[in-house]
Amino acid sequence: MIPALLSLVLLGAGADPGPLRMLGPAPEGEVRRVVTLTPSLTDVVLALGAGDRLVGVSRFDERAEVKQLPRVGGFVDPSVEAVLALHPELVLAEPGPGNRQAVERMAELGAPVLLLPLGTVSDVLAAERAAGKALGRAREGEALARELEATRVRIRERSRSRQPVRVLLVYGFDPLVVAGPGGFADELLSDAGALNVAADAASPYPVYSVERALRSRPELILDAAMTPGGRDRLRELPGLAEARWASVPGQALLHPGPALGRGLEQLFALVHPEAGR
Amino acid sequence: MTSVAGSLGTASAVRFTPGRATLVLGGLLVLLLLAFVASLALGEYPVQLARAFAEPGSPDGRVLFGLRIPRAVLGALVGASLAASGSALQALLRNPLADSFVLGVSGGAALGATLALALGLQALAAPSVFAFVGAVAAMALVLAAGRARSSPYAALLTGVVFNAFAAAIITCIKTLLTPDRLGEVLYWLAGSLGYERPRTLILGGVLQLVALGLLWAASARLNLLSLGDDEAASLGVPVRRTRAIVLVATSLSVAGAVALAGLIGFVGLIVPHLLRLWLGPDQRLLVPASALGGAAFLVLADAATRVLFPVFHSEPPVGVVTAVLGGPLFVWLLNRGEHPA
Repeated sequence: MIPALLSLVLLGAGADPGPLRMLGPAPEGEVRRVVTLTPSLTDVVLALGAGDRLVGVSRFDERAEVKQLPRVGGFVDPSVEAVLALHPELVLAEPGPGNRQAVERMAELGAPVLLLPLGTVSDVLAAERAAGKALGRAREGEALARELEATRVRIRERSRSRQPVRVLLVYGFDPLVVAGPGGFADELLSDAGALNVAADAASPYPVYSVERALRSRPELILDAAMTPGGRDRLRELPGLAEARWASVPGQALLHPGPALGRGLEQLFALVHPEAGR
Repeated sequence: MTSVAGSLGTASAVRFTPGRATLVLGGLLVLLLLAFVASLALGEYPVQLARAFAEPGSPDGRVLFGLRIPRAVLGALVGASLAASGSALQALLRNPLADSFVLGVSGGAALGATLALALGLQALAAPSVFAFVGAVAAMALVLAAGRARSSPYAALLTGVVFNAFAAAIITCIKTLLTPDRLGEVLYWLAGSLGYERPRTLILGGVLQLVALGLLWAASARLNLLSLGDDEAASLGVPVRRTRAIVLVATSLSVAGAVALAGLIGFVGLIVPHLLRLWLGPDQRLLVPASALGGAAFLVLADAATRVLFPVFHSEPPVGVVTAVLGGPLFVWLLNRGEHPA
């Protein structure tokens, strides 16, 4: 029975967070007070040129533009009261089972909430357009989405003539967490002419077997880990020691938002260093 | 009967009379009401209580009636359940370390909720439903295993072993989870009070009334059971039936509490022990007093999590607050020289 349950867990791990949708009352007139519940959505608001309307952000937000703003909790634990105390005219949230109850309660108590899934590139494109529309900046939202789409087309074009490179994109070394299939990172890897060796994993952010990683013989290991713990041990292992190692600069590949275009260009340069700029 | 109850008590025990019970329980009820009012006044949103009551439709009123009152009611229900069950189980199992989670209920509930979260089930409050089903299933397993032997230790040991078993499976699931899902599981396991709908609260309230009512009704027989099975039987107590009633009532009560709030530790341990120091071991007083005291304790602990929000930019799970308060308090109780049992 237990193996059956565990396999169910693995299958369910990539469950759909639900569609983009609006909860609570529709925003009235021009939205001037915005609260975001995840750094990626803060990035979207800033990229839309509406940063001056932000009145609250999550406790994981680090950008200098929002350093002074009040914090309203995290992804799984937003505080309903802290959000309502800011009298938001729009709350931007990424839906998940952990924040569902809190987000629904905010909406019931009168805060308009826009739920924007950010799992895939098309989610990000839809989120940019929807956030732009909600903030009265539909043109800017459309431009952001078009820009990312154009970057994807351009990079795909450049990758087409090149030999695919076997890549392992690492988010953490201890335990080994990598980019699996079904997420925006996997899609961008494919755009950049990389073959994701962890495409057989069960979810977009699987804890991966080290031995499987060795056996998959990556040619390039992209290091997007936030802490170096455990990296050196892995670097010495056969199959990984021979691979080329490169650090992914900045957080462009960690935050599914307007930085993805820049992230994709960096990714292409890392996968095909011979291609030049 | 009076002489038996009296012989159970320590020198400081409050001898049970209806008048004294009314006085003690009335006092605790006032304490609970004070805790409730304090909880309504505390939080990130600046609520003016007078305006909120005058205009329930105003923003202040909606925060008060939509957020704080439901949460305080939930805290009171869960606190009452955990503390009263803890008190009854300590007497039934004759073990001062028994708490509300000892019969495998915590393991079953945690396993159920972890599975629901890991599967990404969102519909119909799946983690709560799974937790309740897990807790009841664990209880049934423990009771069935304990049936074969008449000693209360069989149920206790089966419960402890089941909890360890469930913990191992949960660890296994956690290692398979992606980091985002893992955060949700960890948060649930830490125990926190969320915002339940009125009908959920009414359902939970009815369950607790029935379960705690059964416990209170059995409390006089529980006093005699704590003398030992043979002694109780010779005094006319139906030992097996009483034990079954208490085990089922506590397990259902705790399953309901855990389903709504996750695993909130120490309430079932610290509140009965504290009250036993004051009131003595008479369960007729201790069961309802623990219910009221536990409710007040958890309502205040939950208010504390809201006060702590500006410090952490997040409300710490209330289970963390009860553990941080409960651990040192328990050691202090032990070192007062009186045996907390």
